[in-house]
Amino acid sequence: MTEPAISAKGVRLEYRLSRANIGSIKEFAIKTIKREMKYESLWALDDVSFEVAKGEVFGIIGPNGAGKSTLMKIMARVLPPTEGRVIVRGSVAPMIELGAGFNMDLTGFENIVMYGTLLGRTPERMRERAWGIAEWADLIDFIDVPLRSYSSGMLARLAFAVATDIEPDVLVVDEVLSVGDAAFQIRSGERMKNLIERGASVVIVSHALGTISALADRAMWLDHGKTLMTGSPLEVIDAYERTVEGSPS
Amino acid sequence: MTTNYYDSDSARRPLASEVSNLWAHRGLIRLIVTRDLTVRYKRSTLGIWWTLLNPLLTTGVMWIVFGNFFRFEIPGDTPYIVYLLSGILLITYFAQAVMASGSAIVNSAGILTKVYVPPEVFSVSAAIAASVNFMISLAILLVIQLVTGVGIPWTVVLVPIPVLAMLALTAGLGLLIAAAAVHFFDVLDLTGVAIQLVSYLTPTFYPISIVPERFQWMININPLYSYLTVFRELVYGNAGAEWWMWGYMLLSALVVLVVGVYLFSRSWRRLVILL
Repeated sequence: MTEPAISAKGVRLEYRLSRANIGSIKEFAIKTIKREMKYESLWALDDVSFEVAKGEVFGIIGPNGAGKSTLMKIMARVLPPTEGRVIVRGSVAPMIELGAGFNMDLTGFENIVMYGTLLGRTPERMRERAWGIAEWADLIDFIDVPLRSYSSGMLARLAFAVATDIEPDVLVVDEVLSVGDAAFQIRSGERMKNLIERGASVVIVSHALGTISALADRAMWLDHGKTLMTGSPLEVIDAYERTVEGSPS
Repeated sequence: MTTNYYDSDSARRPLASEVSNLWAHRGLIRLIVTRDLTVRYKRSTLGIWWTLLNPLLTTGVMWIVFGNFFRFEIPGDTPYIVYLLSGILLITYFAQAVMASGSAIVNSAGILTKVYVPPEVFSVSAAIAASVNFMISLAILLVIQLVTGVGIPWTVVLVPIPVLAMLALTAGLGLLIAAAAVHFFDVLDLTGVAIQLVSYLTPTFYPISIVPERFQWMININPLYSYLTVFRELVYGNAGAEWWMWGYMLLSALVVLVVGVYLFSRSWRRLVILL
């Protein structure tokens, strides 16, 4: 019996929005005394359950604000679910909001080491890999230059190169299949395809429905934090597209 | 990869996971601490002197005022400059460590909302960086001890004990403050005021003997008095440290650290959404 790479059961996530817009102790004390403290709770995810088998590619689709990115962050351990339970088996490579912790005053090399370590690898390993990473990203000439002299395209390339420089068991991807200029887009797309074909379990969120239907084995449709449908990508995309076309936008 | 199995329910057990979390991320902690220190030292022309400027100026001014005009009687007949500088250095260390540790999590919000790193890593790293900084600044004090003929006793090798206690104390306080600072931005300002109050209640520039006896309990219950006296005893001797001060120092460090970690990790699930 093989256990699923990811299992999510009854996952709910609550955002508590305070209407009063409290930012300081002083305001909090005043508003509490005046009984003006009101919270509005918003369930970004409401009872979401699914399983991703080992080696399966699982696509998630849905409109903006459906809770897709929140679900990604829960799988990446960044957000803990308010209720329910998530279990992820294997090493995880989160490809969401790449480039976290980039420090503009530090050099490319220092940032490669720091970013890789933040992603859970060891500094020793990152120091060994740094040149290879910079080479792959076409940034060898800039490896000792502070990041503030990088263009935004160079930053994106560096972040992508570091994030994908592993062989993860589980890949969580949020719309980052390709970055940079046309030539780099082809190379980064190929690298992603290699990672997927290597047999990693993949959860992929995309607005590009073509990407989902081409890559995914199964798909889930999420709207307002709720699962509307889970099934084969073609069925789910078909149903989703019909509501989008049908709605008077 | 450090984490090969993730169960969201395991995060519900406070205290149990923190120690192993910190150990698993020791590479990252080392990296953050060295980055903190090198950025501070390498990138300015004054280098290491920059962080010493503030305590040295304060000491200079107080030395002129209290060493010449008032003339306190210092326990053990220690030269006033040695007594004063040791006090100012330790209090500056405490203030820097608490402020840095308390603001570390809010400052790292950009990282914590994007990748998984145990948040306590940032608070502890900040407190470690302040501790290393303090150890470096001790060189000045030791030079002055030599110049004034106080000398350097062998007990100086035990100074890491109060430093480790201070590290635990400030990391624990830092976590408490960090949790509150996510909710309210003015917590850090209030912390600054509180630190100032506590430092006046610590005999840095005055001896405890000038305080009327019926008020001395206010200084005795301030844990920093124990830290400072133990530190002075070790670094130059004859400071009048008593055994209860050792006990109070170690106990307060342990209690504050455990309470800080416990309350922080219990509230983190609700905090991370607010970042």
